[in-house]
Amino acid sequence: MSGHPVSITVSGLCIRFPVYGVDAKSLKKHLARTVGGRLGPSQAGATEVTALSNVSLELRAGDRLGLIGHNGSGKTTLLRALSGAYEPDEGTIDVHGRIAALLDLNLGVDPAANGYDNIRLRGRIAGLTAREIDARLDEIAEFTGLGPFLAMPVKTYSAGMQARLAFAAATAVEADVLLMDEWIAVGDADFQKLAHKRLLNLVERAGILVLASHELDLLRLYCNKVMRLEGGVASPVTDIRKLDELLAA
Amino acid sequence: MDTATHMLRTGQRGALFQLNMALRDLRSSLERIGLAWSLASHDIVSRYRGSILGPFWITISMGLMVLGIGLLNARLFNASLHEFIPFVALGIVFFGTINGIINEGCETFVHAAGMLSQTSLPMFTFVWRTVFRNLINLAHNVVIVVIVLIWFGYWRNMNIPVAVLGLVFLVANAAWAGMLAGIASARFRDVPQIVISVMQFAIFMTPIFWEPARLGTSRIFLSVNPFYYMVEAVRAPMMGANATPHTYSILALMALGGWAVTFGVFTRTRRRIVHYL
Repeated sequence: MSGHPVSITVSGLCIRFPVYGVDAKSLKKHLARTVGGRLGPSQAGATEVTALSNVSLELRAGDRLGLIGHNGSGKTTLLRALSGAYEPDEGTIDVHGRIAALLDLNLGVDPAANGYDNIRLRGRIAGLTAREIDARLDEIAEFTGLGPFLAMPVKTYSAGMQARLAFAAATAVEADVLLMDEWIAVGDADFQKLAHKRLLNLVERAGILVLASHELDLLRLYCNKVMRLEGGVASPVTDIRKLDELLAA
Repeated sequence: MDTATHMLRTGQRGALFQLNMALRDLRSSLERIGLAWSLASHDIVSRYRGSILGPFWITISMGLMVLGIGLLNARLFNASLHEFIPFVALGIVFFGTINGIINEGCETFVHAAGMLSQTSLPMFTFVWRTVFRNLINLAHNVVIVVIVLIWFGYWRNMNIPVAVLGLVFLVANAAWAGMLAGIASARFRDVPQIVISVMQFAIFMTPIFWEPARLGTSRIFLSVNPFYYMVEAVRAPMMGANATPHTYSILALMALGGWAVTFGVFTRTRRRIVHYL
């Protein structure tokens, strides 16, 4: 087990997905095509969308990269690729470090289960062992501030309470690389302050943060580098101080 | 900050590379087999939350079915209750497991869409989750078998080790079929309906409600029915009989062939499954 400093290296990354429309998912249509037509291979299965083309970036420990771009420009796809869910069609993704993807706070939340069970479940999905979770359970429970409500089913929670629980559970993992789709701002003012502190802490511990957001002030506050995606094509990674130039470009 | 965790993803193609990635998926799912177990037991707990008897409701309805069909068919076929009820009980309980693994297999990947699209959890983890969930159900339903075998005195000459071997064969075969159904269902939304129909058809074609001996010379109905071998490998030893040796060779061949095909399909579709969802 050789130690390697935390880093992300992406080179020439292309991701294309076939989009299977409701039609294309039907077996009848598929068979009808195979039997009947001689449509090209690209038409036979589905429409192909190029979500990212030739994206390269290099991040070292301490880098906090902001991703900007319009809706559908490929920000989330890039985050999912970095989390390991999407595999590249071309190019390579090389990540050293434990990855935590906070892309969807509600991942794995079971509304019928109580707060404690949901914390356990989420922790298991994030890669903690049952013992590690038990060791951390009190701390997480305290952070949620939900007290006795943790023994109640999550479906009885208000939206804010659910968000508190999800946030506490999702951020309880120790990670080197933190991926976020929009800065997480949940709960009431008190909790936001707590959440803010916790995230900063996590970012400091994490080493690398990749944050996709539309809020430029937020990016200025948290990031030191920025990259713009436009229709799947990425700009070079630049210093956050040049954000305005990047936007003007 | 140093770290030992490393993720390398490349767009490299080629069958060997994809095979290697598929094997790696399998290996890492086995390294984290505890996760599949946690997910499975959570499924069971959450499915039956708030009900007093929980999974035992299924056990009760199965028990009623065993009693009803056992009594009725024993009369229709003029068979002795002593032989027929244990026969029906074992058949219904273990066919239920095959049925569960294959039918629920259709949902294996579809249900895991959220997790698969934002984590690098191995795909096989979700296959094991489906298998474990059904084994937990089986553990509840085995109560019926135990009661019946004790009541009719079969516990004296049942052969548990051989039956467990049969169960291993049964699960090994149901698991690949379930996984294949899962991949196909993710891609084509018609597949779950087809699978349900096939399994419903199978329960009537397989000697579960009727004894194989009644077929007389038409044994072709048995020899081409894969479910017959799967059920027989468990049922016969539990009733103190022996399944014919070729039952095991057929089951072994089916498992090998089935897993080879399933793994081949998985190798080809692995990187696409997440886009199917």
